Amino acid sequence: MALELVVITKIVPDGSEVFIDPVNLTLNRSLATNVINPADENALELALQVKARYGGRITVLSMTPPFAIPYLEECVGRGADRAILLSDKAVAGSDTYPTSLAIAAAIKHIGKVDIVFAGEKTSDSSTGHVGPGVAEFLDAELASYVSSVEYDDGYVIATREFEEGTEVVRIPTPAVVTVLTNSNNPRKASLRRKIDAIRQGVIVWDLKEVGLPPDAVGLRNSPTIVKRMIPFPRRDRKGEKITTDNIAKLVDVFEQNKLIKGGE
Amino acid sequence: MAELVKATPPEDVSQWKDVMVYCETFQNKLTKAAQEMIGRGRVMADKTKTKLIGVVIGSDISDTAKEAGYYGCDRVIAFQSSAFDMYKSRPFTDNLTAAVKEAKPNILIVPGTHNGRDLAARTAIRVQSGLTADCMEIDVEEDTGILIARRPDYGDSTMSEIRCEKHRPQMATSRPGTFEVPPRDDKRKFKVDLREVKVKKGQIKEEILSFKPRSGEDISIAKVVVAGGLGMGKPEGLKLLEELANELGGVVGVSRPIADLGWISRSHQVGQTGITVRPNLYIAAGISGKPQHMVGMANSKLIVSINTDPDAEMNKNADYVIVDDLYNVIPALIEEIRKRKGAENVEVAPKKKKKA
Ligand SMILES: Cc1cc2nc3c(=O)[nH]c(=O)nc-3n(C[C@H](O)[C@H](O)[C@H](O)COP(=O)(O)OP(=O)(O)OC[C@H]3O[C@@H](n4cnc5c(N)ncnc54)[C@H](O)[C@@H]3O)c2cc1C
Ligand SMILES: Cc1cc2nc3c(=O)[nH]c(=O)nc-3n(C[C@H](O)[C@H](O)[C@H](O)COP(=O)(O)OP(=O)(O)OC[C@H]3O[C@@H](n4cnc5c(N)ncnc54)[C@H](O)[C@@H]3O)c2cc1C
Repeated sequence: MALELVVITKIVPDGSEVFIDPVNLTLNRSLATNVINPADENALELALQVKARYGGRITVLSMTPPFAIPYLEECVGRGADRAILLSDKAVAGSDTYPTSLAIAAAIKHIGKVDIVFAGEKTSDSSTGHVGPGVAEFLDAELASYVSSVEYDDGYVIATREFEEGTEVVRIPTPAVVTVLTNSNNPRKASLRRKIDAIRQGVIVWDLKEVGLPPDAVGLRNSPTIVKRMIPFPRRDRKGEKITTDNIAKLVDVFEQNKLIKGGE
Repeated sequence: MAELVKATPPEDVSQWKDVMVYCETFQNKLTKAAQEMIGRGRVMADKTKTKLIGVVIGSDISDTAKEAGYYGCDRVIAFQSSAFDMYKSRPFTDNLTAAVKEAKPNILIVPGTHNGRDLAARTAIRVQSGLTADCMEIDVEEDTGILIARRPDYGDSTMSEIRCEKHRPQMATSRPGTFEVPPRDDKRKFKVDLREVKVKKGQIKEEILSFKPRSGEDISIAKVVVAGGLGMGKPEGLKLLEELANELGGVVGVSRPIADLGWISRSHQVGQTGITVRPNLYIAAGISGKPQHMVGMANSKLIVSINTDPDAEMNKNADYVIVDDLYNVIPALIEEIRKRKGAENVEVAPKKKKKA
């Protein structure tokens, strides 16, 4: 019985070329180039490894405007079996509640799914809410902040990292795992597969297709709102100048603050 | 389980009054992140003249629940079961959700640790409310009880203020290190409501097979962080920083590009997409001071900036500024520190002589 695997991904602006539109308080994407969200590359890689060991089918799912299509083709080029773009004007401005809702509805529409792979968080708004939110809407078990997984006859065995240490947790499927950034080395698409992916194309769904009314999502159906932007807080620090020749003065400060203990 | 429906706000938000804080535990002890959030919750409860309700979940927590009171809760709801010896996503969500539905808090804050964020994100869906992640500031409007949550955004000099005006509870997480730990007062008066939770066999589907405590440095709790950025120019710069960090009993931190370059593991990255630190001393060497870096260290007690550019943004946010090449400054600094240590210890053990 082949595993049904889904990887969710958001296409995010690349690194430092990001701007916020001061009028609409939304991300101005037109000025930045985009990339597959870094943690999602690790999520896809993990899904590919699971598929290689246990068999199955990988669907990549993204709720984004159509500009994302080439990135989804890249995912198929890396080894996913197909890509679905959930694209609908009504979702614009959704916070993480309706985002999780719409993604969960699309996953339900795919049918019986065994494991959903998400990134731990995005590199732009980086809330990390969407993986757990999708688990909640699917009534699935969840293992978050995961570095590796194994599959064993209806169970996912996941290695989770948190502040105090690392645990191995076993949960039954259907399961959602959120994958840590840099937890593996994502493969690149081969040219041949990439060409096949472009030929194969991307499946496009709208909200109606996944059975959600437009008034379930979007800015107006989001509990949170970005109210305004305010200047970054600066603490008053005196910025006293010290020169290298006079470094003893800084070490005096360290001593006054008990930062230097006697030689051990 | 949540139905596939949109978030519907309560009809009468005025019934939602108090401030609730999830008091995260590890091995039945309050985490430092929990203590910090209790402190923040206390401030908001005082401002709105309401109660601070702590929620503790664990396997042996009668003392832990009291600790939550000593740090500032007025009332502690404690859910106890032998099954709650470690964090488990679904049952913890079930219990926190139950506490929310019963106590109807106006605000719910949760430590922004991995487990806390897992819990908060699920609970927000269950209770159909809004959650603001990774807040640098959490405050409340005294007259309206509206939560003001501020988090970094992608701009170069701004952060976003996010509100959740219609839904309750208004939820937020903040990373460990964002707020100060409040004073512990074992004379404080509070009520503990300890509940034994009956867990049926097979009801909990998550099974923890093994746990390994973290090894290696945790920069989020380090007292001294010596951090380097692109100004280091080459990976060898990290060796120098490490030498200084060793002298100060501290750890090495880096800006994101350094982790991107793979010179050191991501667990050393300070900032918005890295770790938040609040050390007694933060030395920033060759770091320009972009907001995405600053959010991870702006609350450090003492900040020293070493930068060749007199106008670097970091200098404006530092207590002490040295405008010079870090490859001149840091060796001089190491030498001076060793000299002092040596001087203190002459009689005991004449330390290895400083090198030039
Ligand atoms: C400045 C700013 C601040 C914001 N702060 C908040 C906030 O505090 N709380 C809040 O509820 N909303 C917030 N939002 C809205 C939030 O950015 C969107 O809902 C966003 O699309 C999803 O959140 P995320 O990027 O944080 O995803 P995360 O939850 O960090 O992502 C986790 C996983 O879900 C996947 N994923 C996320 N979105 C999609 C998608 N559309 N399609 C497929 N996979 C996806 C990611 O790729 C990743 O694998 C904010 C928006 C802005 C502009
Ligand atoms: C969404 C998003 C999230 C981000 N998250 C993070 C994050 O978590 N952490 C983070 O750090 N960044 C993050 N960034 C990146 C951030 O915007 C900056 O690009 C980054 O912090 C710059 O790193 P830097 O200061 O090392 O490099 P630069 O900005 O290049 O600064 C180098 C500095 O070194 C000085 N210098 C050069 N030579 C010397 C010398 N010999 N001696 C002394 N000084 C010297 C220069 O004058 C300059 O000030 C993020 C960006 C985005 C868009």
